[in-house]
Amino acid sequence: MESPIEANGLRRSFGDIEAVCGVDLSVSQGEIYGFLGPNGAGKSTMVRMLTTLLKPSAGRARVAGFDVATEADEVRRRIGVALQDAAIDPLMTGNELLHLQATLHGLGRKEGKERGRELLDRVGLTDAGDRRVQTYSGGMRRRLDLAMSLLHQPAVLFLDEPTTGLDPSSRLNLWEEVRRLNTEGTTVFLTTQYLEEADELAHRVGIIDGGLIVREGTPAELKAAVGSPTLRIDVSPDQFGTANEVLGRFGEQRPAREGRLAIGLDKGASRLTDVVRALDEANVSVLHMELDAPSLDDVFAEATGRRLEGQAE
Amino acid sequence: MTDLPIDPSSTIPKKAIVSGHDSGQAGIGAFLAMSRRAIVGFYRQPSNWVVGAAFPLLITAVSASAFSRSTSLPGFPDADSFLQFLMAGTILQGTLFGSITASTDLALDIENGFMDRLLASPVSRVSILVSRLAGAATFGAGITVLYIAVFTLFGAKVNGGLAGMLVMVLLSTIMAIGVGGYGAAIGLKTGSAEAVGNSFPLIFILLFMSSAFFPVETMSGTYKTIAQYNPISLVIDASRHQVLQGFDLGEATKGFVIAIAFASIMIGLALSQLRSRLADAS
Amino acid sequence: MSASTPTRTTNVQQTALGPELHVRVGPVARALVRRSLVAITRVPSALVPILLMPVFFMIAFTGSYSAITNIPGFPTDNIFNWFVPYACVQGAAFAGIGTGFSTARDIETGFYDRLLLAPSSRASLILGPVGTSIVRSSFPFLTVLPLGLLLGADFPGVLGLLILAFTSATVSIMSGLWALGVVFRMQTQRSLGLVQVGIFATLFLSIGQVPLAVMRGWLHGAARVNPTTNLLRMARQGFLGGVTWELTWPGLVAAILVVSGLGLFAVSGFRKMEK
Repeated sequence: MESPIEANGLRRSFGDIEAVCGVDLSVSQGEIYGFLGPNGAGKSTMVRMLTTLLKPSAGRARVAGFDVATEADEVRRRIGVALQDAAIDPLMTGNELLHLQATLHGLGRKEGKERGRELLDRVGLTDAGDRRVQTYSGGMRRRLDLAMSLLHQPAVLFLDEPTTGLDPSSRLNLWEEVRRLNTEGTTVFLTTQYLEEADELAHRVGIIDGGLIVREGTPAELKAAVGSPTLRIDVSPDQFGTANEVLGRFGEQRPAREGRLAIGLDKGASRLTDVVRALDEANVSVLHMELDAPSLDDVFAEATGRRLEGQAE
Repeated sequence: MTDLPIDPSSTIPKKAIVSGHDSGQAGIGAFLAMSRRAIVGFYRQPSNWVVGAAFPLLITAVSASAFSRSTSLPGFPDADSFLQFLMAGTILQGTLFGSITASTDLALDIENGFMDRLLASPVSRVSILVSRLAGAATFGAGITVLYIAVFTLFGAKVNGGLAGMLVMVLLSTIMAIGVGGYGAAIGLKTGSAEAVGNSFPLIFILLFMSSAFFPVETMSGTYKTIAQYNPISLVIDASRHQVLQGFDLGEATKGFVIAIAFASIMIGLALSQLRSRLADAS
Repeated sequence: MSASTPTRTTNVQQTALGPELHVRVGPVARALVRRSLVAITRVPSALVPILLMPVFFMIAFTGSYSAITNIPGFPTDNIFNWFVPYACVQGAAFAGIGTGFSTARDIETGFYDRLLLAPSSRASLILGPVGTSIVRSSFPFLTVLPLGLLLGADFPGVLGLLILAFTSATVSIMSGLWALGVVFRMQTQRSLGLVQVGIFATLFLSIGQVPLAVMRGWLHGAARVNPTTNLLRMARQGFLGGVTWELTWPGLVAAILVVSGLGLFAVSGFRKMEK
C-alpha cells in the first residue's frame, strides 16, 4: 500500500532563496510523524507544499495517494489541516464556522449539522457552539480548529504547531485527542517547536534545518544515536577504586565531579540491572545513582548546532 | 509608571525634562524642543502627508475641467477661471487633511506611552499640547505656499499679491492648529490613533457643506444656509477674497477672528480632555 | 518516552469521507456571501459608512452643485435626476472596496488558507466575494434611491429602475473583481489604497459630475474613452428621459468588456497567489 505522505526531492525557492532544498520523506499509514525545526528552517514551506497551499519548484510529493501539484483537489478531499495560529473568523460562532467548513467540503446541510454536532461534542465545545469565536480561549479555538479539520473524516491530518501558546492543561487535552484520532486510523503529520510534544506523540521524528531533513528516526533511535546515556554513582571514598573497576566493564569513563563516578553506559538503560548486580557482587554500597538519557533537545542540538527556540517556554 | 519608551525622533534636551520649570527660559526651550520633535516626527513619515498633499490637487484638476463653464452661472463670483476660484478651497482642504493626520501623532504618543514621559516633566500642559500641533501648523503653512505655487504655474494668480498670500498662509496655519486641536481632543479622549483617523469623515462633511468647492451664492435652500454659516466657509471666503478681489484687511480680519475662535475652542476642548485624562490617571 | 509503534493500518481511500462528496460552486459561493453578511451585521459600525457615505455624497453633490443644471448643454434642470443614479453607482463601486478589505484581512489572518484547502472549485472563491459585492451594493441603492426620490428626483419608471439596479450590480462586480485582482497580487490590506485610487480615478474621470457636453480640456478626452461613462449614461437614462436602446447597448458592451477584462485580472491574480 502506498504511503499516505511521500516526498521525493521536494524543493521550493522564493526568488534566490531556497527554503526547501530537496527533501525526501515517507510517512507510514497510521503513523504520527513529528516534524521539528527552528523558525526559517523550511518547516512551514514543507507543510504548505504537502497541503497543496504552495506549489513545489521541483521534485514531487504524493499525499493520500495523489500528487499535490497535479491532483490537488483529490489531496484536499482526503486531508484535514489545523492551521498554525488557528485562523478562525472571530465574528462567527463555532457552529457557523463548522457549517461553512461543511459546505466547503460538499457535505449536505443535514449531514454537516450532524457531523458538526458530533465533533463539537468530541472536542468539548457543545455549550460554546453558539458563541462567537472571539469569546473563546486559545485552547477552545484550537479545539474548534481541530473539529473543523476533521469534519470530512480526513485520512491524513496535518497539525501545524497545534499547541503553541496553549497552557499545559489545554496542551495535554489536545495531545489526548490526537492520540485518540491516531488509534482510530488517522495518519498525523505534526509540526511542532516543542520537543516534549514530539517525544510524547510522534512515532517518528524528522528534523529539518536549512531546508533539508538532517535527522530522521524514532525518538529512541535518534537519542541513541547521539550517544549512550550517562550513568553517575556516588560511593564512599574507600570503595571508589573497586566501583571504578566494576563500572569500567560497562562503558567508557566520563568526566564527573570529585567523589563521583560517571560512565557512558554501552547499550543503554537495558544494562542498568547488570551494573547494579555487578556492584552488589563486588560489595560496593551505592550512596546515589542517576541515569541521564539524551533528550530530543540533545539530538536537535547535535543535528543543527543550536537549541530549539520556544523549548524554554 | 513603568517602561517609559524613548522616541527616536525626540530632540528634547535632558536638561528641560529634569530641571526645567514652568516659566522662563527653560519653559520656552522645552516648548521649542518639543515643537521641533513634532515637526521632525511628522515630516519623517512621508506616507502621512504626501497623499494628503496630493489628493486635493487631483480633485482640483478634475473639478477645474468639469466645472470650468460654471463661472458664467448667475451669482458666481468674478473669477478669471474656476481654477482660480478653487484655490482657497483647495488650500484649506489640504490643510485640514494634513492636520488631522498630524494630530494622530499625539494619540500615538499616548498609545506608546511617550506622553507619560512628557507629563512627568515639569513643562506646562499647554506647552505639551500646543507644541504637539507644531507639525500640523508648519504643514498648514507649507501646503499653502506649495499650492499657491502650483496654482500660479497653471495660470491662477493671487490678486492680493504678497500681502494676500501672507493672509492665506496665516489663516491656514491657524486652521491647522484648530483642526489639530480637534484631533488632539479625540486622541486624548480615546487614546487611540485609529479613533482620530476615524473622525476624518466629519472634517470631510464640514468641508463639503461649505463654499470650498462651489460658491454659496449659487446654492439654495437649507444647504445654502448651512454652508453660509459654516465657519469653514467664512475662513475660505476671507482667503478667497485675497485671491479674487485683492488684499483686503477687513475681510482678512473677519477670517482671522473666525479662525482664532475656532482654534481656541478646539484647543480648549483638547486641554479639558487632557485635564480629565490626568484626573483619571491620578 | 516515545509513543508505541502503530499497529493498526487503515486504507487511506476508505477512511476519508471527502472522496465521496461532490462540492458544487453555488452552495460554496452562497456560504461565503452569507459569512460576509454575518460579519457586516455583527459589526454594526461597519454598516454606517456603507449606508451613509453614498447618502452624504448625494446630499453634498446636489447641495453644492445645484446650480450646474443651468449650464447650457446640461441634460436636466433637476439636479437630483443627475446625482441620485450617480450616488447609487458610486455606492456600488465602494462595495468592491469592502470586498477587497475582507479578502485582504482573510489572507493576512490565514483564514483564506482554510478556503484554499477546501476541494471546492476555485471559481467559488472569486464568485463568493463578487456575490458579496453585489449584495453590499444593494445597501446604498436601498438608502439613496428612496431618499433621492423623496427629495425631488423623478421616478425613472420600472424599466429605468431595473436598469439602474442592473448597472449598480454590474459596477459592484467590476469593483469587486478589481479589488480581488489587486489583493490577490499584493496579499495585504495595504493594497486597499491602490484599490481605492483605481475606483476613485475611474469615477472622477467619467461623466459622474457633469456631462461630456459641459466638460473641457483633458477631462473631456479621458471621460469620452472611460467605459464608466457608458455605464453612467445607461444608469441615468430613466431619470433623464426615457430608456432607449441607443443609450443601453454601449453600456452593455462596456459592462461585458470590463467585467471580462477585470475577471481575467482577478483570475490571473488568484493563480499568481496559488503559485
